[in-house]
Amino acid sequence: MTAAGDLPERVLVVRCPGWPAVGREPETVGGEAAPGSGEVRDTGPQAPEFGQVVSVVEGFCPRVEVLHPGACAIGARGPARYFGGEGALAAKIIEAVASGGFACQVGIADGLFAAFLAAEHAQRPRDTRRAQPGAVMRVPPGRTRAFLAPLPVSVLDSPDLTDLLPRLGIRTLGEFASLPAAEVANRFGTPGVVAHRLARGLGRRPLAPRPPSADLSVGQEFDPPVRLAEPVVFAAKALAERMHNGLAASGLACVRVQVQVVCGNGQEITRLWRHDGLLSALAVAERVRWQLASCQAPQAAPTADGNQTAVQIPVPMGAGERTTDDYPGGITMLSLIPDQLVRDHGQQLGLWGDAVVSDRVARAAVRVQAMLGHGAVTRPVPAGGRSPAEQVTLVPLGDTNDRVPSPGGAGNSDRTSGAGNPGRTGRTAGAGGPGRTGRTGGAAGQGRTGGAAGQGRPGRTGGAAGQGRPGRTGDPGRPGGMGDPDRAARPWPGRIPAPFPATVYPAPLPARIADESGVTVAVSGRGLVSAPPARMSADGAPWLAVTAWTGPWPVTERWWHPRTARRRARFQLVTEDGAAWLVAVQDGGWLIEARYD
Amino acid sequence: MGAETASLTSLLPRRHDEDVVPDGARLPVLPALRGLLPGGLQCGTVVAVGHWGLLCLAVAAGASAAGAWCAAVGLPQLGVAAAAAAGLDPGRLLLIPDPGAGWPQVVASLIDGCELVLLRPPGQPSAQVRTRLAATLRRRGGVLVVAGGWDGAQARLLVVRQEWAGIGTGHGRLRARRVQVTVDGRGAAARLRTEWLWLPGPDGSVGAVDQITASGQDMRDTG
Repeated sequence: MTAAGDLPERVLVVRCPGWPAVGREPETVGGEAAPGSGEVRDTGPQAPEFGQVVSVVEGFCPRVEVLHPGACAIGARGPARYFGGEGALAAKIIEAVASGGFACQVGIADGLFAAFLAAEHAQRPRDTRRAQPGAVMRVPPGRTRAFLAPLPVSVLDSPDLTDLLPRLGIRTLGEFASLPAAEVANRFGTPGVVAHRLARGLGRRPLAPRPPSADLSVGQEFDPPVRLAEPVVFAAKALAERMHNGLAASGLACVRVQVQVVCGNGQEITRLWRHDGLLSALAVAERVRWQLASCQAPQAAPTADGNQTAVQIPVPMGAGERTTDDYPGGITMLSLIPDQLVRDHGQQLGLWGDAVVSDRVARAAVRVQAMLGHGAVTRPVPAGGRSPAEQVTLVPLGDTNDRVPSPGGAGNSDRTSGAGNPGRTGRTAGAGGPGRTGRTGGAAGQGRTGGAAGQGRPGRTGGAAGQGRPGRTGDPGRPGGMGDPDRAARPWPGRIPAPFPATVYPAPLPARIADESGVTVAVSGRGLVSAPPARMSADGAPWLAVTAWTGPWPVTERWWHPRTARRRARFQLVTEDGAAWLVAVQDGGWLIEARYD
Repeated sequence: MGAETASLTSLLPRRHDEDVVPDGARLPVLPALRGLLPGGLQCGTVVAVGHWGLLCLAVAAGASAAGAWCAAVGLPQLGVAAAAAAGLDPGRLLLIPDPGAGWPQVVASLIDGCELVLLRPPGQPSAQVRTRLAATLRRRGGVLVVAGGWDGAQARLLVVRQEWAGIGTGHGRLRARRVQVTVDGRGAAARLRTEWLWLPGPDGSVGAVDQITASGQDMRDTG
């Protein structure tokens, strides 16, 4: 359509009356044209023949828009200047069309809508003069609204409105146009707004931001081709910064960014990623990394168990056929192309949670990431769990918003919406199973030895009232919700109470714990300790006497999931050197989970 | 001008590429540690803590709570919950658990960005590495808190005695730890200082131990 701007450009519509009007309401066009011009109408030209008319008009202006058979439009400004005015242009067109054997009417006005109506009305004043092969109606610039005002609302191309408005007492476009625009928008919605704009002689929609005049895309060539992802990602960050600067200089933001990677063998990997003006340069670089990762490892899935794969980036469709392990021939070029430019309204949100990573910190972190890899720099995110190791998930710096997106939320790209981020090194990756429901303290009562007072047992204080009743706590229905801050806030009956250990072993250390006689201490299925622990040896270290201990705190976790189910009984121990430990016995073996130091 | 600059400098030094941080700039420490580290952590220096533990986190916590960014290098075992309880803001914490062989470079890069870097060196650092990092620190005004030995540290903290409270034989649970911390070092910190601290206290935070409590009672009853 030509009428795009707030002040529509001049449009000239050529209309051959009596043509079968296809694609427009008969009453709108045909109804008023019906009484029209005698002899030409009788010959009833067929639709294909209208091509002749169009080719004649093309002689005046090469860019002809065919509205429907019987009507076509051209932008009037250029040709009018060339042919000596709009009136002269119209006369020449009529003459040329008539020489082809067709009669026509020409309307010139601001915008297509008005021009079309003008062409329709062109015949009236000259109705009596049969010899005239055509008629012209020219609405002077800026007079469109006045021209439209007396016309009935039925000329609007909207059956709903043309039906409704007369019943509201609004019969002409002038009456409709005099309504406040905001009220029209409220009452009639988008179609009403469009119609209202047309009635006021405006374009169909408000002025759209101009297309970028400058090329805002950025690119870098790699010579020699790069075979590793890391340098490309590093370059991507600089490129993204350049792209953002270019956009910012024009006051624009892009809705999407197209990342284009060209390989040495000519293969092109192109994907669109959602941007919305919110991504930092770092985050754009991350998208590049994901894109590279996804095309590098097409058959990634079969590796780990279910929990591990949950954090891997889904392989996009179309990447399946690429079966190479490496980028074929290396990567020769990377370009970032901003897509769908919009005005930047300055919605720079802090995407990093409460603490916004300052440029300075981000720069340092990216430098480290460039040295060690993306997953090497992490930030802790609270997660739910009982043991200290489970209560924190480590998320690589720069991932979507550092808070782990729940699957399905926070779409990253149109293909991999809500993609889990690759390379996330989750401490609790194995623990992200479907809702950890615990049977804490199922045997808490019996586990007591020596008739001690049992003050402050965590199984009790933690509110583990649901002894042996699965499904009371936790939320079995939410798979893969690891790292969800909400989960951290939920009650975790049986979680190790504060104070928290300063040393949490990423992988528990093996240990040996023996009683006075040197026999390994065991805990029965009912939570009974075979004998009080007296000595401990951590990971092959010399034996240390146990000076104080408490436990067992039995916990059965994920019993419904055969792979990740575990039953543990935890103890806190203090050894003779003053150190305190969090140890657990599982399947007859002792593990050191954490150290209080 | 030096004195004026120092007095005008906020607690967190401003960072510019060419800036040399004025001598007076310091990062704050927790109130409980003010007796041991009067005035806070002097920017551009190394603070060594004898062993990895909650004391390292406590030393860093004051600055972090005041808005400093903190990076932990070579500490995969860092207990984030304990750090948060001690006052360290996990939102301004970067973890580089495995810096690899190029750790000095990693630390130098992080000093550029973070006010405070916690480090457990994977190996014994050579004199050359120490000198280079010290120069970086002086230039950028950061503080390096090292878990382990470090020649030339401005201050050296050590837990010399510790006692857990709240746990018995088969009953109770770990509730609080009373530790005796000594500090010595260079310059103003040359004099050996000793203090008793709750590390952690019953709520996980770090607090000074009342002298009366410290002088005698059986800790086990306090739980």
